[in-house]
Amino acid sequence: MSPRLGGLQLCSPVWDALITPHVPVRTFGIRSLNPPKPSRFNIGPGLPVLESTSTAALRRKAFSLPLRTGAIAIKKGMTAIFDPETSKRIPCTVLQLDRVEVLSHKTRQRHGYYAVQVGAGWKHPNNVTKSLLGHFSVNGLSPKRHIFEFRVKDQAGLLPIGSSIEAGWFQEGQFVDARSNTKGKGFAGVMKRHGFGGQDRSHGVSLTHRSMGSSGPGQGGGSRVYPGKKMAGNMGNQQNTVQNLKILKVDSENGIVVVSGAVSGPKGCVVRIQDAIKKPWPEMPQAETAEPAAATA
Amino acid sequence: MAALPAMRPLGCLRSLMRPSEPITPFINRRFISTAYSKRPQRIPLPQNIPEQFLSQIPLHYRPDPTKEPLKIYPAPPSARKACPDPVAAVTESQLAELDPKGERQALFDYRRNARSVKPGDIVRVVFKNGDPFNGVVLSIKLRGIETSFLLRNELTRVAVEMSVKVFSPNVQSVEIVQRSEKKRRRARLYYMRNRKHDRRSVENVVASYVRQKKAFLGGGRGGQGGRRR
Repeated sequence: MSPRLGGLQLCSPVWDALITPHVPVRTFGIRSLNPPKPSRFNIGPGLPVLESTSTAALRRKAFSLPLRTGAIAIKKGMTAIFDPETSKRIPCTVLQLDRVEVLSHKTRQRHGYYAVQVGAGWKHPNNVTKSLLGHFSVNGLSPKRHIFEFRVKDQAGLLPIGSSIEAGWFQEGQFVDARSNTKGKGFAGVMKRHGFGGQDRSHGVSLTHRSMGSSGPGQGGGSRVYPGKKMAGNMGNQQNTVQNLKILKVDSENGIVVVSGAVSGPKGCVVRIQDAIKKPWPEMPQAETAEPAAATA
Repeated sequence: MAALPAMRPLGCLRSLMRPSEPITPFINRRFISTAYSKRPQRIPLPQNIPEQFLSQIPLHYRPDPTKEPLKIYPAPPSARKACPDPVAAVTESQLAELDPKGERQALFDYRRNARSVKPGDIVRVVFKNGDPFNGVVLSIKLRGIETSFLLRNELTRVAVEMSVKVFSPNVQSVEIVQRSEKKRRRARLYYMRNRKHDRRSVENVVASYVRQKKAFLGGGRGGQGGRRR
């Protein structure tokens, strides 16, 4: 940047030629004594491609990111379904999708990854902060109680904003991963929390039958406790993913999705279901994808 | 011109001799002019102030044409309201498939149906593959689609118990072979596991029932008809 002149803006080349030699040019910043030189060793055609970039990270993830978004469901309870073919009883979890709609998108250009922000339920506008209310009203949606993001592989997976995700989004027979918080157990001891053996009932043990005992050797391991040592503490209420649950039944009218097996958490908890990453992607009728203009919005 | 009391004329001597009045502070007192005058009206801000003067006005007085009240959109129809109990809905749809006439449900609804199977009855179950299982009903668990009953018998002098799911497609028929002699006072007859109360084998009772039925039906079919529901 050329030095600025106070007052008049002189732009004509004549003035420039007259004035500039007399104006002292100041260089900013610290002049390095050892300016960086190109390395003799890091240049060449055979060098490995850098793998610590965000592009490389996305490339690595491309195989394990679902092609389409998931849905937010509420766990309603467990029951069983008798398979009509094998007449086997399959324990199952009943999930319900309630007013699940696409709120916004996360894009590679703006946020560094592709994801669909999905909301579910309804919350009274008086109980929503103004900033969040603005987010809903800009996208033309009612205030949502639950908001989550579902990562998708690329732009093709971005459902248009405002489109609702019904139970029919999932097919009977396909597999999903269910993410939810486990039941909270409160402050639990080591025997319950980490399965420690506890101590003897007798043989001189008094008052410490369920305690963890020593937290480490004094000398060999150094006189400290390593980080991550298993101790008593808060147990449960952590996110857990149950993979490869088969979808047994879908009822679009009532928003019911019946999933085989158990899902973490109590009844009424929020469960996020998305196509299972360890199974082949479900073959779906080509869903309409968002316009590129809408995707960047 | 502050007149000191000592400098006052002698005519004021009496007032000087009087004990002085307590000095009342003027705090919280209003002058008459204030009390009886009209409350001043706030002068409204002039409209259409030129933009260069806006910065002199407090923030909350400045006009903001860009600000519009947030539009709150109504919620779409709720699936939760349409179906408050999805587990019951799934159970009902299952029952409609597995037990369309509601016969099995009635056969084990011992709280409402007097003719149903009751704890203490001897029951014969035939499965789809043709295997029968006989036994005394120890308990009936009414749990919707997962309704089951517990049978106890003795096979080769070994006590055997089997829990049977009522609505399982594997169960072909359930027949009541013999009613309990007296009314049971308990819903769960787990005391029959004790040696004193054990019913032991029910095979001979069931065998005679099957023989009678065969004779009654003319030896055509066995184990399929009867009191199956």
